[in-house]
Amino acid sequence: MRSISSSPLLAAGLLCGGCTTQDLSSSWMIDRLRILAVRPEPAEPAPGDVVSFEALIVDPQGDPEMTIWFGCLSDEAEVMGCLGQMDLDVLEDLDPAALEELDPEEMAELWEQLVEAGLMGIEPYLAPSYTIPADILDGLSEEERLEGLNLFVQVTAIPQGSGEEEDVAEDDVELAYKRVPVSEARTPNHNPAIAGLRIEGVEFGPDVVFEVDAGQSYRIEPVLADDAIETYEYLNQQGQVEERVEEPYFSFYVEEGALDASYSIHPYGEVEWTAPTPAEKTDQMLWVVMQDRRGGMNWWSQQLRVRE
Amino acid sequence: MLRLLLLTCFCQAAHGQEELPAEEETAAEAPAAEEIAADEPTPEEAALEEAVVEDGPAEEPAAEQVAPGEPPADPAQAPPPEEELPPLVKEPQLLDFVEAPYPAEARQQGVEGTVLLALEIDETGAVVSAEVLEPVGHGFDEAALEAVVQFRFSPAEDEQGPVPVIIEFAYGFVGDIAAHEGAHADVQADEQAAEEIQAELPVNLEGQLTEMGTKRTLRDFPVLLPELELSTSSDDQGWFRFHGVPPGSHALRVAQPGFDPIERQVEVVADEVTTVKLWLRNKSYRQDELVGVYQRQKEEVTRRTLSVEQVRRVPGTFGDPVRVIQSLPGAARSPFSTGLLVIRGANPEDSGVYVDGIRIPLIYHLDGILSVINSDLIESVDYLPGGYGVRYGRSMGGAIDVNTKHSFPEESHKFSWTTDILHSGGLLTGRLGKEKRWGYAVGGRRSYIDLFIPLFTKDSGYTIKPRWFDYQLKLDRLDLNAGRFSIFLFGFQDLLEVATPSDVAQGTDQDTQGDMSMLYSTHRLIVDWERSLGETLSFRVTPSFGVDLGSGNMGDSFDGSETQWLVELRAELPWEPSEHLTITPGTDFIAGPWQFDVSLPFDPSIMADYDPIGEREDWAIQDHGWVWAPDSFIEADIRPLRDPEKLLITPGLRMNYSWLTGGFKGLAWDPRLAVILKPHDSSTLKASTGIYHQPPMPTELYRPDGNVELDYEYAISTTLGWEQFFTPAFNADIEFFYKWLDSLIVFANELDSMDDPYYFNEGVGRVYGMEVMLRREAVDRFFGWISYTLSKSERADYPEESGQWDPQWYPFQLDQTHILVAVGGLQLPYDFEISTRIQFVTGNPYTPYAGGIYDIDQGFYWAYSTADYNSQRLPNYFAVDLRISKLYTFRRWQLSSYFDLLNVVRATNPEFVIYNYDYTEEAYVRGLPFIPNPGVDIEIYF
Repeated sequence: MRSISSSPLLAAGLLCGGCTTQDLSSSWMIDRLRILAVRPEPAEPAPGDVVSFEALIVDPQGDPEMTIWFGCLSDEAEVMGCLGQMDLDVLEDLDPAALEELDPEEMAELWEQLVEAGLMGIEPYLAPSYTIPADILDGLSEEERLEGLNLFVQVTAIPQGSGEEEDVAEDDVELAYKRVPVSEARTPNHNPAIAGLRIEGVEFGPDVVFEVDAGQSYRIEPVLADDAIETYEYLNQQGQVEERVEEPYFSFYVEEGALDASYSIHPYGEVEWTAPTPAEKTDQMLWVVMQDRRGGMNWWSQQLRVRE
Repeated sequence: MLRLLLLTCFCQAAHGQEELPAEEETAAEAPAAEEIAADEPTPEEAALEEAVVEDGPAEEPAAEQVAPGEPPADPAQAPPPEEELPPLVKEPQLLDFVEAPYPAEARQQGVEGTVLLALEIDETGAVVSAEVLEPVGHGFDEAALEAVVQFRFSPAEDEQGPVPVIIEFAYGFVGDIAAHEGAHADVQADEQAAEEIQAELPVNLEGQLTEMGTKRTLRDFPVLLPELELSTSSDDQGWFRFHGVPPGSHALRVAQPGFDPIERQVEVVADEVTTVKLWLRNKSYRQDELVGVYQRQKEEVTRRTLSVEQVRRVPGTFGDPVRVIQSLPGAARSPFSTGLLVIRGANPEDSGVYVDGIRIPLIYHLDGILSVINSDLIESVDYLPGGYGVRYGRSMGGAIDVNTKHSFPEESHKFSWTTDILHSGGLLTGRLGKEKRWGYAVGGRRSYIDLFIPLFTKDSGYTIKPRWFDYQLKLDRLDLNAGRFSIFLFGFQDLLEVATPSDVAQGTDQDTQGDMSMLYSTHRLIVDWERSLGETLSFRVTPSFGVDLGSGNMGDSFDGSETQWLVELRAELPWEPSEHLTITPGTDFIAGPWQFDVSLPFDPSIMADYDPIGEREDWAIQDHGWVWAPDSFIEADIRPLRDPEKLLITPGLRMNYSWLTGGFKGLAWDPRLAVILKPHDSSTLKASTGIYHQPPMPTELYRPDGNVELDYEYAISTTLGWEQFFTPAFNADIEFFYKWLDSLIVFANELDSMDDPYYFNEGVGRVYGMEVMLRREAVDRFFGWISYTLSKSERADYPEESGQWDPQWYPFQLDQTHILVAVGGLQLPYDFEISTRIQFVTGNPYTPYAGGIYDIDQGFYWAYSTADYNSQRLPNYFAVDLRISKLYTFRRWQLSSYFDLLNVVRATNPEFVIYNYDYTEEAYVRGLPFIPNPGVDIEIYF
């Protein structure tokens, strides 16, 4: 059916943007289990490469009890990734606790079954990885092979304590998916790198705890590594090779306090964070996730200490 | 306890005249109940009255009934009642006069007489009892009694509202005027001689009567010098003249029903002419306007025409007559009180909006609050929710036709100015030419909410600037003998700008950064020519020329514009060979070139498998073509019964043809039939059935590759209704309707490739329900209506699965089961007025979400639902709006100040459900809070 004409509603909506009676939680506030990022390595594999994955999964209640990784190729994927391709039956008979007792041979056999079902890993028991089929790009034109296709990675994080319940509540489970380009690009993508943070104009490197005053506002900006923004080649539809530069963006997450924006775009990478007052926890974390918009991503975790 | 009101009114039944000519009927039917007490008229006076009716102006017979020298009978001078009652603020006025048959006995005997009666009039203006106070015999008493109980008055009122009263009423029976003259020749000769002597004296007291506030000339108003027993009346220019007034100070008095009486001491000096200018204040300016503009044009099964002045006083409409439609049966409530026209469960795009019969794309400005035509230029708004004739087409929903004014101030120019919190605007009207045969109107408005928003949002970084303007220019030839001819130029432009600071990210995509703007404008030149071609044939031709422009951009990446030039021609040739038949062939023609250009930061052909991490290339397209739609129709009005008003059968046939360059070509036929049966003058049975085809929208039709497989959508509509007038002022209307929607255009179920067709005629719908309207016309100080709609509107996409008919019905997005609206307005003393609107509406359906799945590459969650589409509803909507206004009248201008108080009960009505970032929390977006909207309307005459 047709949708309702939106122009009057758009105007009314813009003018009435604050006409809500309650505040909804913000995406930058980490108050429950969240999957913030998935980093493939390499960021843009070629056919036959083995890709390993690492996820930035955060939960105020602690590490998730289990993280399940599925994979599917783009022709199998749907709007929401591999959700329709996941063979959940294979998980029903799986006893995570028994995995640690399996010998290497049994583990290999199980792994083979899981891979066949589309599974890429079960953390903390099996680190996720995926071997790109060597023939994945066969039959494609040269231009298509340079452009490549996507591997979809589906991540399901199950929070602590869920294993003791018969059924995992839907709201407790976090689902996310990500695309990993597979190609024979001349300048394959690499994950970007964040070298540190610039807070109120002062740069901080790794392993530094930044002390903040409760209720105080701070301008925070990621400091990029030298090679964080890549220049790469792109073969356009006219058959010409273009030189393009990445246009990364950053997402920010905190445990307490308030951010004035949940993301920023290079080169305007700054956001303002106001420290909580009073703070529930003295030591808190701040995460910055960087994406290069080509499938590569990385993150920075910063420990904060709130002074009352 | 009833007030006894000594009002004496004198009416006459013409001897030997079975039927009065129309003009005389008008005069006889509407004499005002005279506020000046006159003695029982003598036969001589009765004869004079007869002469006036036959020869004089028809409008003001009551003025001629004033007996010179008699003091006025102020209601306050009525005999003291048993207990003190508040004074009347309005006397009853005779609305329906019933002529009594001249008694045969009296006629044979050549007898005349006047029967004095006491009439008891209740709060509705009905005569509940009548008693002969002074019988005269000869059958006059019985005839008068039989007639007066059928009279209908406007009710008398005190400050609390309508009240019952008893009045004295003199019913005169006058015989043949010639015989009468002979019988009283001596008396007449004496009076005539006296008048001639007086007339030979020079004029030494003169003056002019003008209505306060409007500068309107007051004609035929009685002017008295009570002490001298002299009287005269104002002429066509409002001037009155007295001859030979003795020098000295004299009281000059003017008293006319409906106006505040005025008395002025004037000094008359010997051998000088004393000139005075008298301003009279109308007791009810608005009431005049109300009665004056109410009109009912061609019979339609469901046409609800309201007077502009009435609807402008409905709170919540911002004084806009078009907006009142949302307080009428069949119209759904629009979110945020915007102007979406959802009529009988149809999409807003499925209803046609017209200005003087010419279709325009939008009727509201972008804020959805005000219509695009200056309210002061709107004469009436025809609201046709369904069952309408073949004159209107290309729509499955309703039709709304905004009729602009054909009346202009006669004696002066009028400047109207309106200011409220949203906009200001003015309109200048008047007449041009030596003989003032051309009316003109020049107007314009501009919104200024864009000036205020930055004051409230300066810390947010964003600047939202919605603004619009509109203009109108109209020339109207008022010489009806030469046919009606008018030229109307109007247009509007709407602009919405959202400015973003350069260091604020607007989405995570570089291509969505930057300012955003959206502009839309429409301009039309309409020529309307209507004239008679003889006794049975006339024509009306309405050509128009216009352009619609639209453009929008976001930063440097998204940019688009479209231009549609349109030539429209509406022509009708009604042929009325008899009062029982009218045949009207006509055409409703639209044609014109279009062009557009769009540039995007991506190729839309990749949208089917959009890859957010894939490389994108800028994409642009330009195209142009033609649209051609020469629709034609023929309609017959058949009135088969002897009384042609009793039954009207209107069959019609409309041919729809649309052709769009490279995309669409379609032909469809719309047979329609309407029947209006009036078994009684106060009752009407209405029924209609018909097919209503609607071509696809241009955005659905256009494909660069021409891969379009669309056809007309259509509706089969059936209505059945009953309209009942309980009194001329109170009526009820009930209508049942059923509408089957077929071949609805729906988006492709699965889109494997952008080369596939996007849309298919694979949707169906059904809308059915009942509409009730109880309405109290504005014949006195109160007007109001109650509107109730019970309806269900459903859709089903792809109802056939594997060849099996299995529609999965779901509620239409704005399906509202119960829509109850009560509107009432009351004029208070001292020109205060209060009106209210109360709304109770079922909440809109929505689809609940159960959660979301995070798309890491795009940084947002995709929502998923475990419930059926539109399976839940928002809570019911309830709101009370209030409007308080006060009219100030000065000599040459009027000022109306008002407060439109929206949502005075501060109801927090949900309008939408919004979710948090991952769809695990939901909250309501509430409707408009309490909003006081002060405003002023100024009318200046110069």
